[in-house]
Amino acid sequence: MSEAKLSFDRAGYSLDAVQRAAYRFSDRLSCDISEGAKAIEVNVRVADGTERPEAVLDDFRNEALDQVLRERIRAETSDVRNLVLALAFSKTGLIETDV
Amino acid sequence: MSKFREPAAFQAASADWQLLPFRFERIRGRVLLTNLVGEHLFLSAEEFEQLGSSDLPTDSPLVRRLRAKHVIREKDDELPVELLAIKARTRYRRLAEFTSLHILVASLRCEHSCPYCQVSRQSSDREAFDMRSETAALALDSAFRSPSQNIKIEFQGGEPLLNFGLIEEVVEAAETRNETEHKNLGFVIATNLALLDDRVLDFCRAHNVYISTSLDGPADLHNKNRPRPGRNSWELATAGIQRVREELGVDRVSALMTTTRSSLGRVREIVDAYVEQGLTSIFLRTLSPYGFAIKTKSFNAYDVDHWLPFYEEGLDYIIELNARGVPMVEQYAALILKKMLTNDDPGYVDLTSPAGIGIGAIVYNYDGDVYASDEGRMLAEMGDKTFRLGNLHDDSYEEIMLSEALLAPLEESFAPSAPMCQDCAFETYCGSDPTYHHATSGDFLGRKPTSGFCRRNMAIFKLLLERYEGDATTRALFQTWAGH
Repeated sequence: MSEAKLSFDRAGYSLDAVQRAAYRFSDRLSCDISEGAKAIEVNVRVADGTERPEAVLDDFRNEALDQVLRERIRAETSDVRNLVLALAFSKTGLIETDV
Repeated sequence: MSKFREPAAFQAASADWQLLPFRFERIRGRVLLTNLVGEHLFLSAEEFEQLGSSDLPTDSPLVRRLRAKHVIREKDDELPVELLAIKARTRYRRLAEFTSLHILVASLRCEHSCPYCQVSRQSSDREAFDMRSETAALALDSAFRSPSQNIKIEFQGGEPLLNFGLIEEVVEAAETRNETEHKNLGFVIATNLALLDDRVLDFCRAHNVYISTSLDGPADLHNKNRPRPGRNSWELATAGIQRVREELGVDRVSALMTTTRSSLGRVREIVDAYVEQGLTSIFLRTLSPYGFAIKTKSFNAYDVDHWLPFYEEGLDYIIELNARGVPMVEQYAALILKKMLTNDDPGYVDLTSPAGIGIGAIVYNYDGDVYASDEGRMLAEMGDKTFRLGNLHDDSYEEIMLSEALLAPLEESFAPSAPMCQDCAFETYCGSDPTYHHATSGDFLGRKPTSGFCRRNMAIFKLLLERYEGDATTRALFQTWAGH
């Protein structure tokens, strides 16, 4: 089991984004996540037998970055997403006020 | 080093266009984007980075591509919102339809003794293992209570032809009832065809009953998988297929295969066996991780990593056959492609969310027990009655359909609110299979990073997209499958 410490600046990463990345990688890594004043600290353990553990850690860092982006897209589009779904399910009889 | 611009760059307030909801996944250096209803496009990593640029010109080719796929819209343009709503409504239209497939287990008895079968009994005790008329009548009541305009009644077993009298009774009663109900009524018998005779054929012809059978490939493989006295399961199945094709019509019989460990490495022979029988579709299935399939590990065990090369070789061989003018559809691919390339959802139970258990298909066991799925029935045979919704003799339709045994797995497994699924670019193609995850990980949701269901489906989605994008011939073929 090899271990590593990663640090994510709180100015660029939310706890949620780091947690989502950790969940996605939970077949390859196990993580302890803690919040510091300026950074989110992640103690990572890579399972024995993992080929190129450094590459897995790089992928994990990139995944955290992708999760930040997903978070932004979700936030920016949540209103229109709700609008589309409200329009889609109106007059279908599936929503109580419609019946 | 950051691959992206600063997050502020994604706030499009100053741009002439705005983001619409979309999800993305990086695949081999490119980025797959899927919009709210699953329409997809690939971008290069550079193009994806440009998407974060608020000064991307509105008239650029990239913006036009993104607008065409409803990933972005012109500022305050309402049309894409309305179109997405129509498409989403089309995709979810089956929800309002409710249960359309009603499976009646006519008998648990079977003259086969397949090692992976969870439910069959080698018994001549009709009293103990056949569905009785009064139970069947209650099942029919339940089927007609469904608001669905389309009602398909499928007879399963064991071997349902061992209780053919009951099948005749149910079909005739359903037809009489439908004179006033006016549903789109259909019937299927899932049979190994070993007991096919003139009485069965005549009845199926008169009442437009379809036959679904099992064909595991060439004779030695099929007979190894499906032992019966005489060791002639394949001979009887293929003779039956030909009789149904000749006497009822070529479209009246279809076959399903079960992949055992013995099948791995023989996918071309399996496909060839279907071609030889004149069949034009095949469903390259995995073995369900339930019951005897787990118990008899030495016979059947294989994991996703063994099955995926089998599937990939089979798919490529089928594509090759089509290119040579031999028509053949791989059914699992066709179901997924319909979800990928159209706004329709075929309603396949394993690939829907909310899950299809109970609300897409429901199972009435021989003894009146009602299960949310066929796999739920199989688990019950192993002593796990988690998916037993009630009993036709004891419980009302409302009690059955509103039971916690149905509502809890539906709610807990809903993919759009599940960890990882929520952000997954393939979510609209996929499903939530609470029975699988309950059987393999002990809860309805499962842990997606280690889920065999997730791993298998993600690999298939990527494979299909890769082949679809790969060449024009395959693209055209997949488009016809999507409309299949």
